[in-house]
Amino acid sequence: MDEPMADAHSAQVKVTFTTTEADFQLPESKRQLLVPADIKRYGLSRILNSDLMLDTGSIPFDFLVNGSFLRSSLEDYLNDNGLSLESNLTLQYVRSLIPPTFEASF
Amino acid sequence: ATHIAEQEERQLRDYDEALELWSTFQTKTQPLSQSLSSQLRLILTPTQSTKLSGSFRTGKRLNIKKIIPYIASSYKRDKIWMRRAIPSKRAYQILLCVDDSSSMDDNNRSSSGRLALESLVMVARALTVLETGQIGVLGFGTDVFVAHALTNTSFSSHDTGARVLQKFTFKQEGTDMIRLLRKTIDHFRDARLTQASSSGGEDLWQLALILSDGLVQSRDHARLRPLLREAMEQRVMVVFIVMDDAKENKKGHSVLELKEARFGPDGTPVIHRYLDSFPFPYYLIVHHLEDLPGALAGLLRQWFAEVNS
Ligand SMILES: [Mg+2]
Repeated sequence: MDEPMADAHSAQVKVTFTTTEADFQLPESKRQLLVPADIKRYGLSRILNSDLMLDTGSIPFDFLVNGSFLRSSLEDYLNDNGLSLESNLTLQYVRSLIPPTFEASF
Repeated sequence: ATHIAEQEERQLRDYDEALELWSTFQTKTQPLSQSLSSQLRLILTPTQSTKLSGSFRTGKRLNIKKIIPYIASSYKRDKIWMRRAIPSKRAYQILLCVDDSSSMDDNNRSSSGRLALESLVMVARALTVLETGQIGVLGFGTDVFVAHALTNTSFSSHDTGARVLQKFTFKQEGTDMIRLLRKTIDHFRDARLTQASSSGGEDLWQLALILSDGLVQSRDHARLRPLLREAMEQRVMVVFIVMDDAKENKKGHSVLELKEARFGPDGTPVIHRYLDSFPFPYYLIVHHLEDLPGALAGLLRQWFAEVNS
């Protein structure tokens, strides 16, 4: 991610977004998405906020994978859990409750 | 020479389970398989020869070169007519390439694997009934392997079928479509040389049918294009059949709806439809097994029309 244009050549992973928050539901056709594998919480949040998705401006979201908060890139999560890029990861998004000052730790 | 390694270490599906699967799928897909073979018979069997030739007592058109000898012989050498020659025999080599990667697996909440195996059984049976040429089966994921060598041995016995199904477990941790195309082109080139030395004059058609969920790393799309061009130059037709199950609970999961997100140079997310960069010129999307015979026949008909025009 050092060179911004390198993104077009990075690996992708397929994710499925879910949420229990009534205010932030995505239509069914937008719930599955291919994202860069090196993406982290911040990038995912930006995607969700974008006008083609929730169009919510800049609300910080957190992401739960298999019950725990995503604290690394998706690629690292897959590696740490013995999964490959073939996996379809379900990401449950919730409005971030962490005060913004703590965001740097993610 | 090119070799597609038979993987010694491959984990196989249990034989009895595979046998059971083959027989269940064969029974289930029997009517579809019949429908496919009768549609393919019309497409693959040449019915008309375009060339008039030969010398006959009756026929369609006069052979001008025979007229003078005819008169000179006092109208005795009367084989002066040409007829439509018997259509030149076509030979087919068909490779069914089945995606064995784990994105196809039920553990990944995908039923594409099952749909691909059902389709494999249906198409293999239809081609067996047609007795149209050689059928082979390749599996691919991170690697490419031969599940059934390109031979005249067809799928008339459940045993042959079961041995092929045994090799598909959907555990491969990658989907290397570039490698698949490379190996397919090389395999067909070798097969063409073997065919040419064993039989003369037959018109050889080579066709690869890829059965897959269609999920390829987008960065590979551009690298697939030159390979697809090479296949076309070698007269190898590649048809991509996207296994896109549309059963219950699968709403919104179709590859037709799938988008991809990238970040622009300024970090802004950009979202595109995944299929917009899909490089295969001939592809069809199968939501239900019942769609396949008609869709495949339609596509092949279109292709033959383009090739013959
Ligand atoms: Mg795959």
